[in-house]
Amino acid sequence: MSEVPHFVLYEHAAGYALMKIKEFDDAGLILQEVDAAHADGYKFSQIVELASFDPFKNTEAALENCNSISEGLAHPDLTNFLQKSLPKKKKHVVLGINDSKLAGSLTEAFPDLKLVFGGVITEILRGTRVHFERLAKNLPHHSLSKAQLSLGHSYSRSKVKFDVHRVDNMVI
Amino acid sequence: GAGGMRGGKTVVVEPHRLGGVFIVKGKEDALATKNMVVGESVYGEKRVSVDDGAGSIEYRVWNPFRSKLAASIMGGLENTHIKPGTKLLYLGAASGTTVSHCSDVVGPEGIVYAVEFSHRSGRDLLGVAKKRPNVVPIVEDARHPHKYRMLVGMVDVIFSDVAQPDQARIVALNAQNFLRNGGHAVISIKANCIDSTAEPEAVFAGEVNKLKEEKFKPLEQVTLEPYERDHAVVVAVYRPVKGKKV
Repeated sequence: MSEVPHFVLYEHAAGYALMKIKEFDDAGLILQEVDAAHADGYKFSQIVELASFDPFKNTEAALENCNSISEGLAHPDLTNFLQKSLPKKKKHVVLGINDSKLAGSLTEAFPDLKLVFGGVITEILRGTRVHFERLAKNLPHHSLSKAQLSLGHSYSRSKVKFDVHRVDNMVI
Repeated sequence: GAGGMRGGKTVVVEPHRLGGVFIVKGKEDALATKNMVVGESVYGEKRVSVDDGAGSIEYRVWNPFRSKLAASIMGGLENTHIKPGTKLLYLGAASGTTVSHCSDVVGPEGIVYAVEFSHRSGRDLLGVAKKRPNVVPIVEDARHPHKYRMLVGMVDVIFSDVAQPDQARIVALNAQNFLRNGGHAVISIKANCIDSTAEPEAVFAGEVNKLKEEKFKPLEQVTLEPYERDHAVVVAVYRPVKGKKV
């Protein structure tokens, strides 16, 4: 999995983001550059830029999407977002995905797309997580950390509520 | 009746060497944190107020018998790396007692992402988080960080107290996703959770070696006597940045 992607998908509590990667000839080079830009937002924005962002419509939609992502499933909001954000011709387009299960789920909806994960993708997503606030500074969202806080509460509440057996999952 | 801590005017509180931590002076000194939710205890811990002239400040006593992080500070840990403004990922948050002190320490500029898998403890954790806007509760399995990747930003420190035999792997997976280069892991290790037949010292050394294989550089280690038996807290730096102080 050392192929350099054209795009990577970044999932945030506030919405879905498609990041566009500057063209690189080989994976070793991008790994070096991403690592060098870890503490330098400007440098990172020369390698990775925000191509498209879709905020979740409301807190219910955010929770639904978070549940799907945690199960590695492609929510319709995600497939719609990718459909409209990726190039029309998807042959030879390489998209980096955080986990293999979600990549598998997306294969059905996008048979032409080449989906990759791990290796280079993990490193690009690390950098994106560091610099996302900067990369997303022009977006119409309220606060990225407030979105995490609100979604953390609703996700965790639903987990506790839906535990019908009321047994501990802890293995000691 | 009230204990010795509630001495009114006689109580003296001094800042600890570590940012955001305080010492309540008395017959026996006690650790404390500045209470973010004034007037409330989280788990029945004592509170003390000090009037500094400009107004009253409330502290919560931090009991090292109830918190491994507090025990490690009492044990002389050089640096927890958790201070005002820190972004902290806390694995094994349980009912949120130590999380509440971390929330006090990091303050309004910091954030604590608190992960706990047990639903019973998760309910208590949600209660703690409700009153503390810098705590993001995450009821999920720390073994699968990809499940909560939408909820967590990049952090400065991971504190882990998951008491699982594969704890080093769990910390490494979370670090790969969420811990910045040059960030720190503070890990509580219970020897008999890893291997109940080996000598604790050998178990601790084994865990440190596992961390070394995962891009961590160990910095220090303390045992938690007399507060816990056969426990150690290990601090390591992740992907250290060349030329930067760790």
